[in-house]
Amino acid sequence: MAKAIPRIGSRRNGRIGSRKSARRIPKGVIHVQASFNNTIVTVTDVRGRVVSWSSVGTCGFKGTRRGTPFAAQTAAANAIRTVVDQGMQRVEVMIKSLGLGRDAALRAIHEVVYY
Amino acid sequence: MANPRRVKMVAKQIRRELSDMLLTDKVLQYAVLPEAALGADRYLSSLTTISDVEVSADLQVVKVYVSVFGDERGKEVALAGLKSKAKYVRSELGKRMKLRLTPEIRFIEDESLERGSRVLAILDKIKDENDKKTTEDSQNWYEFEIKHGFASSRGGSFSTFTPWSISFQPVSTMEI
Repeated sequence: MAKAIPRIGSRRNGRIGSRKSARRIPKGVIHVQASFNNTIVTVTDVRGRVVSWSSVGTCGFKGTRRGTPFAAQTAAANAIRTVVDQGMQRVEVMIKSLGLGRDAALRAIHEVVYY
Repeated sequence: MANPRRVKMVAKQIRRELSDMLLTDKVLQYAVLPEAALGADRYLSSLTTISDVEVSADLQVVKVYVSVFGDERGKEVALAGLKSKAKYVRSELGKRMKLRLTPEIRFIEDESLERGSRVLAILDKIKDENDKKTTEDSQNWYEFEIKHGFASSRGGSFSTFTPWSISFQPVSTMEI
């Protein structure tokens, strides 16, 4: 279900190119879903539209290593890397579920911020 | 005593139950974070995580390792709150799980996650310094190769050896 974005004009315009190219978002939200076997880090804007995401599986870990805090740290660092260049200044972190990735991802975000 | 596999399964189940309690139970949450009671759901100062659960072989003692993210005061408050609710947690666990004897629960502060991230930060720093030194050194070696016509593979392997031994010495005082 996409968020309701008000459409101006009729469908004659077709797709408006790639709307998400170089969106400058100063404030964003980082969602961390830390289950026992995996950690998914999603960066969105304040309304909830996803900018980029990264998970432990996409960072190359497989099997039992996906549940470790180190993996969560790499996933969080990976997710933030793409966004830091876009000039994000204020971030809210929302954490779901209880897993080892909770603490580790938060620490990784903290370290990236206070480089 | 109990089958070691059973001990592991009980530990896993206790971990699941405790996590669920920490997420949904209002009493526990208020004990860990007093400001949660005020309805401040979005601005929490510290975050508690259950990193590990160890069960003794006779299923009588459960050590729960808790790691808290936040400042010193947050850690003390969280751990003190948990320790004061140990009996409550024990009775809740007894209601949720079917065990002959509900084990005694001890909450222990877990610093391994912090230590691990600190070690990783130090390793990253060493790696950065190493990379800087190898780029400088490899440039010097490259000139050396061109002048003396060495094979590039030999020059490459030399350049990775020397800076490693140099960069280790100043960082030998690591506090972990």
